[in-house]
Amino acid sequence: MRTRIINKLIQRAQKDPRVFLVTGDAGYGVLDEYQRRFPHRFLNLGVAEQNMMSFSAGLALAGYKVFLYNIIPFLLYRAYEQLRDDICYQRLAVTLIGIGSGFTYAPQGMTHYSLEDISLALTIPNLVILSPSDPYEAESCMEFAFRSNKPVYIRIAKSAEPLIHTRPVADVRLSLVVKKGRDVAVLFHGSIASEVMDACQDLEYEPTLISMPMLRPVNFLALKRQLRGIHTIITVEEHFVQGGLGSILEEWIIRKNLPFQLKKLGVKNEFVHRINNTAGMRQAYGICQRHIREAIIKAFLKKDV
Amino acid sequence: MTTVDKLRQVALEIRRLIIEFACRSKCAHVGSSLSCVEILTALYFKEMNLTKTKSCREPDHFILSKGHAELALYATLVKKRIMSKKMLEGFMQQDGTLPAHLDRFTGRGIEVSSGSLGHGFNIALGWAWGNKLRKKGGRFFVLIGDGESQEGSIWEGAMFASRLGIDNLTVILDNNNLQGYGRANELCFFEPIDQKWKAFGWQVHRVDGHNFSQINSALASPNRNSPKIIIAKTVKGKGVSFMEDQMKWHYFIVTPELKEKALKELSLYSYAHKNYK
Repeated sequence: MRTRIINKLIQRAQKDPRVFLVTGDAGYGVLDEYQRRFPHRFLNLGVAEQNMMSFSAGLALAGYKVFLYNIIPFLLYRAYEQLRDDICYQRLAVTLIGIGSGFTYAPQGMTHYSLEDISLALTIPNLVILSPSDPYEAESCMEFAFRSNKPVYIRIAKSAEPLIHTRPVADVRLSLVVKKGRDVAVLFHGSIASEVMDACQDLEYEPTLISMPMLRPVNFLALKRQLRGIHTIITVEEHFVQGGLGSILEEWIIRKNLPFQLKKLGVKNEFVHRINNTAGMRQAYGICQRHIREAIIKAFLKKDV
Repeated sequence: MTTVDKLRQVALEIRRLIIEFACRSKCAHVGSSLSCVEILTALYFKEMNLTKTKSCREPDHFILSKGHAELALYATLVKKRIMSKKMLEGFMQQDGTLPAHLDRFTGRGIEVSSGSLGHGFNIALGWAWGNKLRKKGGRFFVLIGDGESQEGSIWEGAMFASRLGIDNLTVILDNNNLQGYGRANELCFFEPIDQKWKAFGWQVHRVDGHNFSQINSALASPNRNSPKIIIAKTVKGKGVSFMEDQMKWHYFIVTPELKEKALKELSLYSYAHKNYK
């Protein structure tokens, strides 16, 4: 996804002289091409995240369309107040590209995981939240960001995420049905999509699979239509189980008094001390394909009884 | 009347507005507003180019990074007729017009929303750099405080500004050596503050922050491929004897009695500017 996003940015920068890329000393080997081609619209503001965020707000005030690239904890957690006060409160259309969603960087340690970023981003009014599931969605997120007059946060893993769509995504603002099934719907966002797809391989049941690249604002009307005939929703995300997609849907279901059962798969809220790679972490925290598969089967059986 | 005399007169009138509206709004930070009056006056009534002209497409910008001195800015904008007095009448009133800390969507002349310290400075750096790249012209003036200088973001920005050579920017430090709960140079290893900035690659000037000729010449001195900081030694609560250099005037409210007392002092000054340095 990262490569597609940067390529998209390069394409855009060629046409639009306002495009400006800022990094906080991240992106070695990834941003070189951009930097080589647009040296005057590239800035590495070093390991100084507070300044990086406010400085970008200033560039936006000068008329630039700013894209900020960094690892999520240093982008969103370290400079949260700068994001709130200097970008969102001032209504500046800066796009944050955060890499390393969930356990992408495992086993780098807790400081490098991003399991609460969506909760944090949701607290800031005005901020559009995008979490693409595959490279097509990632490209579409960038298209959205180019046109957006609001601040945007794009949450991505890193690289080599498999495609889940067969063609480019037309409208990233909508929840996207990847596979139409019945009774049970699995909703997900981000790179965990590959686990969901694997979980449904050779499965005797056919749940509807829906990718949710836009976590705010959610087009609930379209989603409700897609959920016709569904009795159980399973949410899967590489994020703390509270405060992400599961919680967003939970709130909606209660607010609108909807007849859905909801099963939330996500990471338990705790500091992670175990040492595993990404796949191992997903297994340990109950969000790998086996767990997803079990949850789907359980949901189907429950109704059959 | 010389230029300096005129500026003194303006500063005096701004101080009166501050006292009047501090009383009306019951706002805090009166001392913080009074300490930077000469700085704002020098900027708005002498140094800054505020209108677009044929030769200058981009006016100068002022960013109040120490956003708790909002009343000084509002009063200056009113005096300069950028903001209406009617706006100021709604300052901190129920369903009013202007908040205690700056919100750039509330009134004309407020360029950046601020209040949390160590933000406006860095926004200004980005804005100034962006304008320089786009060859838009216009200079940037930023006011920061002593307490604010303890923010890490200030020094993050300081380190990059000189590296980038942001020479369309002047920062003024309102060095009144009194913050919310102590004196800067007692709380931390604050001095020698000028040498710190120098070590970060900035062009440094030290002036008496209530002396117009010193402020004016420091503002007018050209930046030489580097950002510039003017460390303005000031007195918190300047102009009102019972507020001067008193920490409590970071918080105290101007009651109607104190208002009368303060205004009386300020009206005396107008007839004797010699005492009023």
